[in-house]
Amino acid sequence: MIGAVDRTVMWLTFRQLFVRRRLVAAVLFSLVPLVITLIFRAGHERTSQETLRFALMLYREIAVGTLLPLAAVVFGTAAFGGEFEEGTIVYLLVKPVARWRVVASKYVVAALSTTLVMAPAVALPWLVLGGGAVPPTVPVAYAAGIGAGALLYCALFILMGISSKRALVLGLLYIVALEFVMSRQVAGVRSLSIREFVLTIVGKLGEGQPGLVAGTVTMDTVWTMGALILAGSLGLAIHRLRTFELAERL
Amino acid sequence: MSAASAPAPAEGAAPGGPPTRIELRNVSRWYGNVVAVNAVTCEIGPGITGLLGPNGAGKSTVLHLVAGLLHPSGGAVLIDGIRPAGDPRVYRKIGLVPEREAVQPFLTGREFVFMNARLQDLAGAEHATARAISLVDLEDAQDRAIGTYSKGMRQRIKIAGALVHEPAILLLDEPFNGMDPRQRLQMMELLRTLAAGGAVVLISTHILEELNDLATNVLVMVEGRLAASGHYREIRKLMTDRPHTFTVRSADDRRLAASLLALPSVFSVELSEAGVSIRTSDRGAFTRALPKVARDAATTLYEVLPTDESLESVFAYLVQR
Repeated sequence: MIGAVDRTVMWLTFRQLFVRRRLVAAVLFSLVPLVITLIFRAGHERTSQETLRFALMLYREIAVGTLLPLAAVVFGTAAFGGEFEEGTIVYLLVKPVARWRVVASKYVVAALSTTLVMAPAVALPWLVLGGGAVPPTVPVAYAAGIGAGALLYCALFILMGISSKRALVLGLLYIVALEFVMSRQVAGVRSLSIREFVLTIVGKLGEGQPGLVAGTVTMDTVWTMGALILAGSLGLAIHRLRTFELAERL
Repeated sequence: MSAASAPAPAEGAAPGGPPTRIELRNVSRWYGNVVAVNAVTCEIGPGITGLLGPNGAGKSTVLHLVAGLLHPSGGAVLIDGIRPAGDPRVYRKIGLVPEREAVQPFLTGREFVFMNARLQDLAGAEHATARAISLVDLEDAQDRAIGTYSKGMRQRIKIAGALVHEPAILLLDEPFNGMDPRQRLQMMELLRTLAAGGAVVLISTHILEELNDLATNVLVMVEGRLAASGHYREIRKLMTDRPHTFTVRSADDRRLAASLLALPSVFSVELSEAGVSIRTSDRGAFTRALPKVARDAATTLYEVLPTDESLESVFAYLVQR
């Protein structure tokens, strides 16, 4: 065991998250931006400016705005949800492993899996578009932002996975309602939107890059709200698993 | 099951130290307004103990309380003086085989048992895995995904997973479900060997015969209460010697009823449209005497029907006793 995580729980969660069907879906999913990029490239000759504008739009709307929350909701809710549905959680609960470590291990795997699936979504379009038109700062800033977003989203979705049988549906509702609709329409909601946090991080890391649209919240808000979401979600998830009784959901 | 792979003395039962004990002190458990376990007090020591009762009697709830997967609503569950709920250290002593078939279907049998060994932080996890798989006789199928296993094989791999750390306490919820007779015999032999090594083995079942030649002690649960406890033979006798009711149809029910009243084993006879309803204190004596009585009364028997042989009525008798 390494520190807060249990390697066996991590191994089991990886196996669980990447069962064959989900693995195929994850690969196809991570290739979506590449396909869009190839379609863009297949048209007429593009100027450097057009290519940069396209890359920034692709990263902002497709990678951060759509694929990141979807990947996180699938991995975050499945890390625990499947165990409760199948009843296999019992094999983890009757072991001398503290329940907070079970949560920590599953959380780390969910966040890593999300980042892993998102990595080709950022790297491959950049490789196709070429470093001349799109400076490396752009994919690096987005990769870092996506990593931070994966940590926040997965904390939230892990909590949903432990708390509800319909975690996936709840998670999707959250994404559509808060991230897709409200945060774009209602200014006050932006300080609750993980998407906005990611864009703010990207803006900070890519400062000076022409055309890069940063999030509308400040870095102070990102730190404060990010810490609250992370600590609150994981704290509640640990509390739920500590007080979980077998008859509740099995 | 090879003799060479016999289990070692149970983990957690310190050599020379006091044997492991499970104590239930006035334990109750409610689910909302439903009482699943009602003021159960008992002590379970080394050896095989059967937890017998019909479905819904509270057997699984008792096992989950002992395994610390449920908190008692009242009273206390203690394992060697420690409350298991919320104390993961206690799981070094416990192996649980749940009733649900669910096992991660994408793992191979060996991976599943190895995972259990690693979660127990065993130093020789590989060796312990091989040993546990050999105990349940699944070496040939150990590298196949559990999703392809039969019900009986799944049951056995679950048992291997629970046994891998040689626990001092083994809790089995309906363990013989899905096993064929040969596998049952093998499993019984394995459980006997574990018990002989000092382990506390607690088996829940709704079939008394499954505990025959296996359990030294039987706890009978009905509607959440501990209705009876004792040696298998005592419980068997209690169930057999209870009053029985038969409904008999014959060519001349009235004449047969009059003749039956003379039998010492019959204490009530009632005539109805369905036939003659007879209550007897001695099932064996009555069924042996009935053909002779019918012959002497010159009547033909059409149907002899025991009317209270359902498990529920047997257990209801134990509660009312």
